[in-house]
Formats: sequence, C-alpha cells, structure tokens
Amino acid sequence: MSGHAVELRGVHKTYRLGQHVIPALQGIDLSVARGELLALTGPSGSGKSTLLNLCGLIDSADAGEIAIDGQAVTGLDETQRTLLRRDALGFVFQGFNLVPVMTVAENVDYPLFLAGVPAAERRERVAAQLLAVGLHDHAAHRPDALSGGQRQRVAIARALVKRPKLVIADEPTASLDSHTADQVLQLMRERGHAEGAAFVIATHDERLTRRCDRVVALRDGRLL
Amino acid sequence: MKWLKFAWLNTLRNRRRSLVTVAIAALGTAAILLAGGFALSTYQALAQAAARSSGHLVVGRPDQFTQDEDTPLQHGLDDAAGLRARLLADPAVRHVLPRVEFSGLISNGDKSTVMMASGVDPDGEFSVKGPFLSMTAGEVLAGGDSAQVMLGEGLARSLKARPGSSLTLLASTTDGALNALDVRVKGVFSTGVPEIDKRLVYTDLGTAQKLLNTTRVSTLGVFLDRMASTPAAQQRVAALFPALTVQTWLDQAFFYRSVRDLYNRIFGALGLIIGVIVVFVVANAMAMAIIERTREIGTLRALGTLPSQLLRTLALEGMLLGGSGALLGACLAGAVSLLLYVVPVQMPPPPGRSTGYPLTIAVDPLMFALTVAGMLLLAMAASAAVARKTVHTPVVDALAHT
Repeated sequence: MSGHAVELRGVHKTYRLGQHVIPALQGIDLSVARGELLALTGPSGSGKSTLLNLCGLIDSADAGEIAIDGQAVTGLDETQRTLLRRDALGFVFQGFNLVPVMTVAENVDYPLFLAGVPAAERRERVAAQLLAVGLHDHAAHRPDALSGGQRQRVAIARALVKRPKLVIADEPTASLDSHTADQVLQLMRERGHAEGAAFVIATHDERLTRRCDRVVALRDGRLL
Repeated sequence: MKWLKFAWLNTLRNRRRSLVTVAIAALGTAAILLAGGFALSTYQALAQAAARSSGHLVVGRPDQFTQDEDTPLQHGLDDAAGLRARLLADPAVRHVLPRVEFSGLISNGDKSTVMMASGVDPDGEFSVKGPFLSMTAGEVLAGGDSAQVMLGEGLARSLKARPGSSLTLLASTTDGALNALDVRVKGVFSTGVPEIDKRLVYTDLGTAQKLLNTTRVSTLGVFLDRMASTPAAQQRVAALFPALTVQTWLDQAFFYRSVRDLYNRIFGALGLIIGVIVVFVVANAMAMAIIERTREIGTLRALGTLPSQLLRTLALEGMLLGGSGALLGACLAGAVSLLLYVVPVQMPPPPGRSTGYPLTIAVDPLMFALTVAGMLLLAMAASAAVARKTVHTPVVDALAHT
C-alpha cells in the first residue's frame, strides 16, 4: 500500500444503535492519488461522513486496512493517530470551525505551531498562504468579521499551510451561496494542485463534482 | 507563550462570567488573607506580650518549673546578682530582671484577702516591659521605693485602698514562719483582665525578700535584643548554666498556645471552606466554558492537538481566572490592612478582659505568596479535572456536539 495519499482495502464499519447493528461501510476499496481531487457523493446515510472520518483518522474501522501516504494506520494508538493528523492531514469543515478568539493569521498559524515549525518560517508560510487565498489584508481580523466565503478560504489556508498529503473536506460549500461556492471550489482545486495535496470531498453539490478529478458514489455503505 | 495567550483570549469570551469568577476568587482570597492576617497579628501581639511579661528566657532551678514548693522560694536562685552579671555578658541579652513570686494575704485592718504578689526590680520591670499596665490611680513603683505596693484595680476596690493607703502584707517566710509587713499603696493598675486585677500585687524586690526573710529570687527573666534571638540564646545560656533550667517565653505562654491552637483550627477551617468555594466556582465556570467549546475542542483535536496540550491550555485558563482573582484579593487584603493603620477600628474586649484592642491585620509576604500560589494551583487543578473528560471525548463525538 503506497504511492497514494490515502488507500483503503476491505474497510468495514458498523454502528450500534441499541439492539440494532447498522452497517455504515461494507468492504470499501478506494485509493486517492497525490494531488487528486476526489468527490464523494451519495444520499444522506450512504456512509460519506463515515468514510471521511476514517480517511481523516478521527474514527477507526472495524475491519480492513487504511494507509495514509503509504503508512498503515491500523494498530496506531490515539496519540500516534493525532500526530499523523497533525503532520499529514488537513480538514475543511462545512461550518468552517475556525477558532473565534484567534485572528485569521493565528488560525492559519495554529497547525504550524502544533508541528513545532520555527516562528520566522511560520510567519512566512502564513503570509504566503493568506496571499494565495486572497486574505492577506484580513490577517489581523477575527473570523466573525469575515463573510462565509472568506471564512472558508481561511479554513482552506489553515488546511494547506502545513503542506498535508490529504485534505478532508466535508460539504465545504454547503454553507455558501453559489457564487462564493464557485470561488471556494476553484481555490481548493488551485491550491490543492499547487501544494500537491489530495482532496477527498464529501458533497451533494453537482457543480463541485464537475470540477473534481474523479467522482465516487456511495450507497448503503458500498461504492457504486 | 502561545498557549498562555490562547488561554487568556478564551477567558475573554464570556467576560461577565469570567468577571464573576475572578471577583469570587478575589473575595475568597481576601477573606483568607484578612482572617490569616488577623490571626497572625494576634499571635504576634500575644507573643510580644508573653515575652514582655516573662522575659524571652526564664532562668531558674529545675524544680522551680516542675515541683510545688513546700515553703516559699524553696526552689529559688541564690546568687541572683552573680548570675545576672554573667547573663549580661551575652551579646543578645539586654536586661536581666529578678523576680520573687509569692502568695499570701493583704489586709487593710478590717478585711483581709488573698493576693498573688510579685517582687520586682521596679525600674527594670516597668521600663523594659513598656505600657503593659494601665495605671488608674497613683504612680508606678520606682527604684528606691521601699515598703510600697501597686495594687490591681479589683483588689484596691475590695480593700477600699487608694494611693497613700496603708496595708499589711502577710506571708510565710522561707523557714515556715508567718511574717507581716506594713506597706503603703503607691499606685493602682489594671492589666485588662479583671480576674488578675482582683489578686495581683507588685512590690519591690527588697520588700518581698524582707517579707519572706530571704535573699533568693524565684527566677531571672532574660530580655533579648529581639524575639528571633530566643532559640540561639537559650542554647548559649543553657550551656553557661548546666545546673539550671532555661525556658523560653513560649514554654511559659499557656494562654498564647491555647489561643494559637484555637485560632489555627478556626481559621484553618474557614480557609478550607473558602478554598473549596473558590475551587467550585472556578470549576463551574470552566465546566460551562468547556461544554460550550466541545465542538471547538473536537476541531482542535482533529487538527492534531494532543489531549495533554488542550488540558494544559484549559488549566492555564483556570489559572488565569483563579490567579488574577487571587492577586486582586491579595491587593484588596493589603489595602484593608493598610487602611486599618490609617483609620483604626477598636475591637470589643475579648472574653475575660475589660479592655478592647485596636484591630490590626498583619501583612505577611510568605502567607500572601503561599495563599496566591495555593489558589493558583487549585484553580489549575480544578480546571484540568473538569476538562479531562471532554478533551478525551472521541473527536467524531466532539465535532457532532451541538
């Protein structure tokens, strides 16, 4: 298992709801190449979010193997998974999930700070990332002073600043109007290619899927 | 530094809640420091009074402190002058005051009553000890006065005596005979303790020794340059006079020890209760803040923040709330203590005493530092304790929290 930003083999995941066992994912085999933009589509309850959570290492599979950038994650303890998330993964959430007490620059800087990057280098990389997403003039602003589209651009900058192998994006355009959603999509595509990061994007948005390199559909926990 | 800044910014999210938490921590800290300062001030005053009454050191024969006397001064010291001269050679010793303690009867001719008497060196006793007596009539005894006494207020009232009155002292001599001596009242005093004022008589050393037919003294009170010299001086004097017992003022100060034990328990319990209240308030504020930020904690965990790093920043947040409250409380307590020097407040007489005293609050840097540090650590620990569960919540669950 190597050469891919993320690779899943025979992945199963079930949830228990009282007496009922609900199969969320059933034998998923999926590979996402480095720099690839993959759209994950399917109706609600099809398993998109579960698959994203497994790719993002914030949930564990019941069976099967997952590798991030060639590194098998099966058997890693919580600390090791956290450190792998810190070093190799980026996240873009539907609700932006920026830290409201931090400025735009501090939000983007946070992953670099966690990774122990020296302060001078952090400053340079944050400035470059904010310039790339067109928010260099808003570096000192708090997120609540920004529009939805601007906040999502900050979130993209935060996800890409540490040069991750894979970015997990859960409905990144769902909270945005169509014009802003277009801009954000374009930005993800450009920045993803520029930084060499693969994107796995769960979405219902057809405009988004059209711009992705590949579209994968899920239904009842299986890939179609 | 970044974690501290993050913690500081988090305390500003809900300013009203943070303000209330800081205010309660400040009031709690101030209450602990004021209560502690009052206790400390009381200890200092009682320690000074005890040392001033008995001397920092009390030198006597061993039996003087452990055995009852069959006859007056049975266990007294013989060569008081020689001992005094040797004691005064010690660099820390300022004064050595001989004292003859005895009991007997005092009579005005019509009425007799029991007295507890002290024969003292008047010049030394009343100048060294300072204003520990309040004269209500007449004058203080002076060197050269002979066959004169000072009476406690209650005793003078009982005997209808006033300055100039003639009284008779009756006591057993050292060889067991009964002796009487006519004396004149020079002054009437109050110690502030009515029970003592009903019995206490001061006379000069010569009159006491003449009444008891002896040249002995009961003990020598040794007054040092400062309280802190006491332990070292005790060792030196004990080495100088191996046949004698050298007690410190603390050994003699039963009242001081009783008050200290009582106050330690009262104020210790008070401090504990206040500390628990402050911890609960900080913990409650942090618990609310953490519940509100569960989703954000999930986000930070997803970004790669370790639970220990989140615990650290949340503990720092608690530290900032508790710590700033504690610092404010320390400033408040210091200000109140200083204000009491400028605007004195008189306290009512304690039980068993007839006079009140000015309220003073000691400002002890060590007590302030320990209290602030204690509050700080407790607030940190409380915050970490309430945050522990949330930072270990699975990231998926934390992100789904609404």
